[in-house]
Amino acid sequence: MCGISGIVSSENIAKDLLNSLRCLEYRGYDSCGLAVLKDKKIIVRKNIGTVDEVNAKERLTHLMGNIGIGHTRWATHGGVTKENSHPHLSMNNQFAIVHNGIFSNYQELKEELVDKGVKFLSLTDSEVFAHLIEHAYEVCQDVEKAFIAALQRVEGSYGVAVLSYHEPQYIFCAKKDSPLILGLGEGRNFIASDINGFLEYTNKAITLDDDDYAIVSKDKYWIKNIATGQKVRKKPFTIEWDVETTKKGGYRHYMLKEIFDQPHTAKQALKIERSRIQGLAQMIQQSQNCYLVGVGTTYYVAIVGQYLFAQFLHRHVPVISSDEFHQTAILSENDMLLAISQSGETYDTKMAINYAQSFDAKTAAIVNVMGSSISMMVDQVIMQGSGPEICVVSTKAAFSQMLILLRVVIEVARVQKYITDDEYTVFYENLNDFPTILEATLNEQSGFVRNIAREAIHVHNWLFLGCGVYFPIAMESALKMKEVSYMHAEGMPAGFLKHGTLAMIDDKINTVVFVPPPDQKELYGRTLVAIEEVKARGGTVFGFTFDEDKKSEQLLDRMICLPKVHYLVAPLLEMVMAQLFSYYVALDLGRNIDKPRNLAKSVTVA
Amino acid sequence: MKAVILAANQSEQLYPFTQTRPKPMMRIAGKYILENTIEYLREVGLRDIILVVNYKREMIQDYFAYGDQLGVKIEYVVQESMDGIGHALKLCEPLLGKKESFLLVYGDVLTDGNIFHEALKNYYEMGEEMAVVTLPKSSEKFGNVYLDHEMKIRRLIEKPQKGHNANYVFAGVFLLSSSFFQRLDKRQNDIELCFQDMIHENGLQATLWEKGWIDIIYPWHILEANRMMMRLWKEARIHHTVSMKDQVCIEGPVIIEEKVVIEAGSILKGPCFIGKNSYIGNNALIRRFSVLGPNSIIGYGTELKNCVLFGASNIGRLSFVGDSVVGENVKLGSGTTTVNHWPDFAPIQYHLSSESVDSGFKKLGAFIGDDVIIGARHTLGPGTIIESKKNIEDSITLSPNR
Repeated sequence: MCGISGIVSSENIAKDLLNSLRCLEYRGYDSCGLAVLKDKKIIVRKNIGTVDEVNAKERLTHLMGNIGIGHTRWATHGGVTKENSHPHLSMNNQFAIVHNGIFSNYQELKEELVDKGVKFLSLTDSEVFAHLIEHAYEVCQDVEKAFIAALQRVEGSYGVAVLSYHEPQYIFCAKKDSPLILGLGEGRNFIASDINGFLEYTNKAITLDDDDYAIVSKDKYWIKNIATGQKVRKKPFTIEWDVETTKKGGYRHYMLKEIFDQPHTAKQALKIERSRIQGLAQMIQQSQNCYLVGVGTTYYVAIVGQYLFAQFLHRHVPVISSDEFHQTAILSENDMLLAISQSGETYDTKMAINYAQSFDAKTAAIVNVMGSSISMMVDQVIMQGSGPEICVVSTKAAFSQMLILLRVVIEVARVQKYITDDEYTVFYENLNDFPTILEATLNEQSGFVRNIAREAIHVHNWLFLGCGVYFPIAMESALKMKEVSYMHAEGMPAGFLKHGTLAMIDDKINTVVFVPPPDQKELYGRTLVAIEEVKARGGTVFGFTFDEDKKSEQLLDRMICLPKVHYLVAPLLEMVMAQLFSYYVALDLGRNIDKPRNLAKSVTVA
Repeated sequence: MKAVILAANQSEQLYPFTQTRPKPMMRIAGKYILENTIEYLREVGLRDIILVVNYKREMIQDYFAYGDQLGVKIEYVVQESMDGIGHALKLCEPLLGKKESFLLVYGDVLTDGNIFHEALKNYYEMGEEMAVVTLPKSSEKFGNVYLDHEMKIRRLIEKPQKGHNANYVFAGVFLLSSSFFQRLDKRQNDIELCFQDMIHENGLQATLWEKGWIDIIYPWHILEANRMMMRLWKEARIHHTVSMKDQVCIEGPVIIEEKVVIEAGSILKGPCFIGKNSYIGNNALIRRFSVLGPNSIIGYGTELKNCVLFGASNIGRLSFVGDSVVGENVKLGSGTTTVNHWPDFAPIQYHLSSESVDSGFKKLGAFIGDDVIIGARHTLGPGTIIESKKNIEDSITLSPNR
């Protein structure tokens, strides 16, 4: 997982290129660098640290040139050192390359090149490409041919961009299993790992397909197939996000902004055309087995889906974490797979889709990023339209995915007559009211959540409990706590307690309980039992509850009391509050909230 | 851009300290609140400062003069009548550029980081009039604001219902354009109504301040703010002119200013602050979060804990001052003890002439105004208030026969 970026222009590009890297920083942030071409000389400046730190050390903005490439790195092969950061130069400094992905056969290639007398400066897999292309150039004396020759040698995944002093007007780039997008500006063109890289400058973009390569100049571009050399015709698409929405505004962290974005995201999710939802609903009805897959947060989203399917459609759908999919899924052509991914680039999920497709199963996906690989490879896709999610920790995207699943399920339920048209209308009325309630709740409860979080920063062990559909909510909330506060947090069904976990309850472990509205009697009763079990062992219990819940008020040590809402959206409301809670715990602990250590936004590597 | 600091109001609630000094002249972590605000402003390059003053303005003007000492330029506006914030701001109009925006800050707000830096950064990025908002520990005393996803304020509730008050509030820092004065004219200088208008028209842009923030309202806020600021201290700093005798023990971030004398056997546990020219007698124990203003004298065997002494105080031997605020030029006789909690640790009430407030603290000592003299061997109960200039005789059990 890294971010690459490039600009060809008639003006100096250093500042814009740096800015573009800053927008891609969430993809990786342990080191970065730029290569620009001026007067037939490639200048590379790179170092370890965030974009702003490297800029301070290396004065990247002082670079001059009209064409350049940049890279922000999240280390996979080779440690975090200045040498290992990109761009990499070839031996005679004729080529500079940036690479996102993994060359799986780099060891062989490296040995071969070392035999030919190449000296490697870094421990990365990427550097081989710079030398490969230089060697090829020495033979054919043509950059494009050399580029193709090098591409044909490497295996694995890549988004790669090359700068050469032999062709000072062009950036050569190609992709396979890693994202790469062209941005078309006026008098200048861009390449980037995703649209955030150039969204500030243009909203016209073209996605490259696997095994395509592109040559980009300041006013032209050519896309060709690597194997055939045939030109590929592609229509640019327009991005509907604007730059403003990717900026932080008055918020100090994207995470809080994105939490506060959720009323708006909910509206967007409810605005998705009904025909789209119906399309997916139909596919689900026709399928024999419907597998739901996701990984990390989206896996928990899928489990929420599982509960909804059972509750409204009396149907069991298997949910499998994408990375384990091929181990356990038994597919036939009558089955379908519904994948959930924010970025649409998640490697494990892509592999799961590939696996399903190899059995001729139908595939569908709920995806946020337009033009992403997953959105292209499935039969049916629902675009969430949640807007860019910059914080590495997913909040609003997961929230919106749950809402969309909810819409799909009640759509199927109506067609299959599990619910009446009247019930359907009532559901939609409640869904439509939800954004307003959510916005008011976020505003009214923030202070309470903050105060409770402030007292909780000394807690090292957390237990998140829920029954029924509140169980995946608890799992998801525990994951949020882990990701952003680095504290140990475990999510589990409330009924699990007495089968083992109770053993570790003492006064040092804090429990967070998601209490359902009291009118859901069965779930409510079971949840209260769990609270009492923990209380009886001297544990501290925080709870999210709804108005008029007197019983749990007496049991809980601390509680966030939420306004009464329909049971359909109640778990979602509690989840949002739990996000806020994790945020404030992390804030008081001084964590790097938007970019937690060791994590990157969309994991595009195996 | 100029900055306007409102420092005119007279606060009843900070009695007894506001008897003799204006609110922004409380000493927190060795510095006046106003001094701190001006230093933050200078850090972000705002050197043109307008100070609106009234109550006890001589003290402010004597100390800050034209700002040369702090490297800023200060102009004064005197608000003779107590007609509110809008009126105070209106008085500054002639001193502000016709088309220039300005920064407005309340003089009694303290933050543990440069709040202006955050505000200006967002202001330049977005170019809109803006209010800084924050989440205080308790917001009962403040109006609540509601934010939307773009961080625009969509509602302002002046008096929130009880139980619904842990919420976002104005942090007392605003970036406004000169057109704000037209709003003030339209609304007869009622600043709240002007904000309401802005919120209704277009939503008022907010910036969120998430670090420490305290509005000094009651005297115990001085102690709270003091702790907040001193927690930031990372290192000890001892002036080269300090004289320390044998076996003085120093732990943690302790700041000792010039010409302080510390006698043998004293223990100082940081964070604590000893102002210049102070004298600390033998075997004194200065514990965490204690601040000694300049020119203080601490007698033999005295213990200080979590307390603020504004300066020029004389604490007699074998005394204990804890969880207390002591004004300037106070003399405490030997053997003075502040009792800082009730036997059952009940929350300590604070009794003012107009109201009685629950401080929420289980440990709170005495609040002693400026120029008080207390004779020897007095015991001050939790939450005791001693009005300034008071003279209390020694507590003597046996007198000579005359």
